[in-house]
Amino acid sequence: MDTMEKLSTLVGAAKYDVSCASSGVTRKNPGGTGNTRSFGICHSWSADGRCISLLKILLSNNCIFDCRYCANRCSNDIPRASFLPRELAELTMQFYRRNYIEGLFLSSAVEKTPDYTMEKMLQALRLLRHEYQFNGYIHVKVIPGSDPQLIYQTGLLADRMSVNIEQASEESLRLLAPQKSFPMLFSPMKQLQDQCQIYQEERKTFRNVPRFIPGGQSTQMIIGAGLDNDLTILQSTQNLYRSFGLKRVYFSAYVPVNQDSNLPAVASAPPLLREHRLYQSDWLLRFYHFGAEELLDENHTNLDMDLDPKTSWALRHPEFFPLEINRASYEELLRVPGIGPKSAARILSQRRMAAVSSDEIKKLGVVFKRAQFFITCKGIYASNRAFDPQSIRRILTPKMQPEQMTLF
Amino acid sequence: MDYLYDESFDGLLTCIYHHYYQVAATGIYPCASYQAQLMVASSEVKTDLILASRVYKAIENKISASALLLVYQAFLSALPGKENLILNYLLLGFKLGSKVNLLLTHPAVYPLHKIAAQVSREQHRFLGLLRFADTGGFLYAACAPDHHILPLIADHFADRLAGEKWIIHDRRRKLAAIYNGQIPAAANASGQSPWALVDFPYTDELALPQEEKLWQELWQHYFREISIGSRHNPRLQAQFLPHRYRPHLSEFQTLPQRE
Repeated sequence: MDTMEKLSTLVGAAKYDVSCASSGVTRKNPGGTGNTRSFGICHSWSADGRCISLLKILLSNNCIFDCRYCANRCSNDIPRASFLPRELAELTMQFYRRNYIEGLFLSSAVEKTPDYTMEKMLQALRLLRHEYQFNGYIHVKVIPGSDPQLIYQTGLLADRMSVNIEQASEESLRLLAPQKSFPMLFSPMKQLQDQCQIYQEERKTFRNVPRFIPGGQSTQMIIGAGLDNDLTILQSTQNLYRSFGLKRVYFSAYVPVNQDSNLPAVASAPPLLREHRLYQSDWLLRFYHFGAEELLDENHTNLDMDLDPKTSWALRHPEFFPLEINRASYEELLRVPGIGPKSAARILSQRRMAAVSSDEIKKLGVVFKRAQFFITCKGIYASNRAFDPQSIRRILTPKMQPEQMTLF
Repeated sequence: MDYLYDESFDGLLTCIYHHYYQVAATGIYPCASYQAQLMVASSEVKTDLILASRVYKAIENKISASALLLVYQAFLSALPGKENLILNYLLLGFKLGSKVNLLLTHPAVYPLHKIAAQVSREQHRFLGLLRFADTGGFLYAACAPDHHILPLIADHFADRLAGEKWIIHDRRRKLAAIYNGQIPAAANASGQSPWALVDFPYTDELALPQEEKLWQELWQHYFREISIGSRHNPRLQAQFLPHRYRPHLSEFQTLPQRE
């Protein structure tokens, strides 16, 4: 297989891993090639609308595991390829100097044993950092089951590492990935978290402590492959943030590639709207100070598909609204549908000089179409009726497009 | 009195100086495109670096550093009439001090924030959208941005590609930022930039070596393979990557025939 074919095979095998940010780390070029910017840089956008920031690739797609949902599982008959560490390093450097990418996102199928694979990945990283003097962004996937020493050595060279949790509940994981288990996935996550804390502590005393994954760790869940409902997924997400101090939890809508009795049919569409609602809920957990128990509970176990989670919450809690925006606190403003952290901060800035009037609200970045039902501005409410959740829901729910009927 | 300046930032600041210390300005316009008015006198202002630096420091100290950045970003934009926006903003700013940036919806502040945000957004986009090609001796990148963002992105590449010689060519304005592979020791000490902005009137396409075409082809393959077919969404892609930026991106050019 030549480089072009190997690239196509290994990139095609890596594309379902969505955790591909290049943000969180600032590093100036110490002499060599490359730097990182903490805001992250998108270099292009693929035909599915997703950002391309890193060279996302598998070192090898020759896997010994047999996870039901994965295109690379050992029971599938597909072309198998592997890169040598030097081939991968050369590819990364040449793409990087042409400004095609911010850095490398390296994952791999489990080739021979987890330790063998992790060792190969570490070799590629060493080549890049020490020989090629590469100072750009590197995100490495941890192979479940590999030795803690290898994970530690890799963490000294990488900017971010992640372990894919794949499913929200242990039952789903055992059903779909029989060779993986929660203890096997949690133990490297705990190791990464502990090591980051050790670095923070030692940095207070010693200046030249070697950096360990300055971008932190993240994880990924597949949506729509198992039978977990949104409540389980959100509770699991919240627990992951709290227990392991993750930077992000990613959700990847399951794209059916394999025929299996436990999985959706191969012809079915990936659950994109559900994935979108889960990402909206994830944002509410991280930036809007919501708790998972506020968004979903035993009576509502799945997210509303018609409305975003915040509007859905607001309509279930009419006691908070309408809110007077000239008197509300930052926390209260964040609860209004259509107002986010930036608009809330701008409202507070403006309020220090003058009261906000209704024709100025749109200029502050508030989505007035949604927010108008939930706020009063200098005492004036947008509608002449009282706050009524039912009619507001009717107005905000997207209308069904009429279908053209056929005669036959 | 209308002031006419030479379209440089120092020239604009000199006009501001004259507004306060000579005749009040009714507007500031670029010399080249000004049409003489019947009722309003106009005078050409000669750029004075010393006066300009006094105004520069005054903005930084009396208003704020962020106000200075906003004014500079607005200046780099392609908006006709940007000079008057800047003038009105600075008049209000010198009166109110740093509080001027809290008045987000004021008619003198809001348009300036909007145009500065557009320039800032385009600068951020081009950090990613610029594509270099290895010509054998140096790296060459061409772009056609809406606003004059070359001074804002050159520092980033001087740091990132510190060991390489590169040229970033703004085809629309016929300018280029060039860097010759070494940060001169003098530049480090005096705080000057290690790259230079020069006139670049060449319009022909650069001939690229065969090896470069191979790397471009690899990138095109990567670009095609990374997309998930069942999530195909050209509208979303166009939202993030407008069509006007695509001509200079190699992944959107036609794939060459393989032998």
